[in-house]
Amino acid sequence: MTAQAKGSPIQGVTLYSFTRAFHGREYDLEGLIRKAAAENFGPGLEIIGFSSFRGFPEIDDHYAGWFKDLIAETGLVTTSLAVNADIGIHRDRLLSQDELLEYMRRQIAAAAKLGFPIARVQISITPDSMEALAPIAEEYGVTLALEVHADQYASHPRILALRDRYEKVGSPFLGFTMDWGATVSGFAPSLIEAYRRRGASEELLSAATGLWDEFYQQGPPADQADHGQRFGRFIGLAAQHGRPDLGIDMGINATGLFGPARVDDWLEIFPWIKHVHGKFFGIDENHEEPSVPVRDLIRLLVENGYNGAVSSEYEGWHWNYWQSPFDIIRDEQAVQRSAAADAGSRMTTDLAEARAQLAAWLPTTEGASA
Amino acid sequence: MIPDRIIEQGTLTTDGSRAAVEVRLPWYRALPASCIAGAKLTVDGVEAPAESLRWEMNGRTFTFPELVPNTEEWWFPTDSAVLSGDIPVTEDAEHTVAVELVLYIPYIVIGADEVLHIEEKDTKTMSARKAVAA
Repeated sequence: MTAQAKGSPIQGVTLYSFTRAFHGREYDLEGLIRKAAAENFGPGLEIIGFSSFRGFPEIDDHYAGWFKDLIAETGLVTTSLAVNADIGIHRDRLLSQDELLEYMRRQIAAAAKLGFPIARVQISITPDSMEALAPIAEEYGVTLALEVHADQYASHPRILALRDRYEKVGSPFLGFTMDWGATVSGFAPSLIEAYRRRGASEELLSAATGLWDEFYQQGPPADQADHGQRFGRFIGLAAQHGRPDLGIDMGINATGLFGPARVDDWLEIFPWIKHVHGKFFGIDENHEEPSVPVRDLIRLLVENGYNGAVSSEYEGWHWNYWQSPFDIIRDEQAVQRSAAADAGSRMTTDLAEARAQLAAWLPTTEGASA
Repeated sequence: MIPDRIIEQGTLTTDGSRAAVEVRLPWYRALPASCIAGAKLTVDGVEAPAESLRWEMNGRTFTFPELVPNTEEWWFPTDSAVLSGDIPVTEDAEHTVAVELVLYIPYIVIGADEVLHIEEKDTKTMSARKAVAA
């Protein structure tokens, strides 16, 4: 037995972290990319197609050229383009399998045209659809990395069904995006603070964190019914403390964003992890993330030889109006670098190195057909 | 998700019989017209009749039934749409404007043949300027 060579994940960011600034028209897409580069949040850059590109997934040659020039000029490397399977786009019916494949093909083509080697897809795509998409992914040379996100963690039956299908299909272009939101260790204190600012009582706040801790002790929900029951418990708790208006919000966040699986749950699918969303919710006064075990997660990646990208994905912007997302990303990436060093490796922050590493990490079209 | 920005401050207009206000998407990514499932516009507690509501987006004006089958026009997250309806509003005075939006989120499947819909509300106070509404 030889020891696993340590990985050196590529540092990066998703522009999703700055949704509030983009949506609020403080930065346009070009301004936000320049800002991310100037703050050294790269070299990895992830973008959500339907958020950032007007008219997506239609991308003309002129626009693609402009975008690639901008990426080259700012010294970044495009890692993942987040795409969406809009199965419910028609009011009266869901897309058929053929329609879905065509819908996804256009987005995969857009990813290739814009220079993204990965398309992040989501749990709404079934194993059958992923299998049918594999040849399309190979045709464009784009890896499909399905996001494993709270509340469906790595050992959840639906994720294991996908993993088993990947194994059967055998295409190197199918994999997973690990989202740290599936393995959270506490109710985010910044969300507690947001509820406090909305007038929630200290009793309710302490009961909510207590209930979350109770579910954490029990482990992640076994299935969607169990998940629904937990959701209901948060709604009940808010009502019981005189704030029924906060119930749904609390249920969505506590069960849909803060997934209580353990860090080593990721080992169930580790070989198929092609991309990582370094999901987190805030930074405390010690410059640490208080509710996501960033250090343990980076150690897991390093020790298991992960050489792909980590997109720092700040999601506290939903409720945190009072702190700068740019300061928060800066601090979280410092935690990642420190954790990688503690684990005997480092984050890759050099552009040339990151490009070469990503190219070696992901399959090429030639490799797939060989 | 971003309900506090639904109503653009200071954009209430009136032609005497109709009122219009700019609204923003309370979600992080573009949605097609087909996913804009409903709206309510209320000024000073008076709600515009549903059949009088119009939705202006990308330079075109739609009734709500016209939005349903349309997957070609998209609401981009940094664009304002204009919601208008029959409500008599006086110019220059302060008014309380309320907007309620129902949106379908087409990729979040919550049942066998069902995707998530969200209902978001915003209320802001502003004066009205004279303009011809759609």
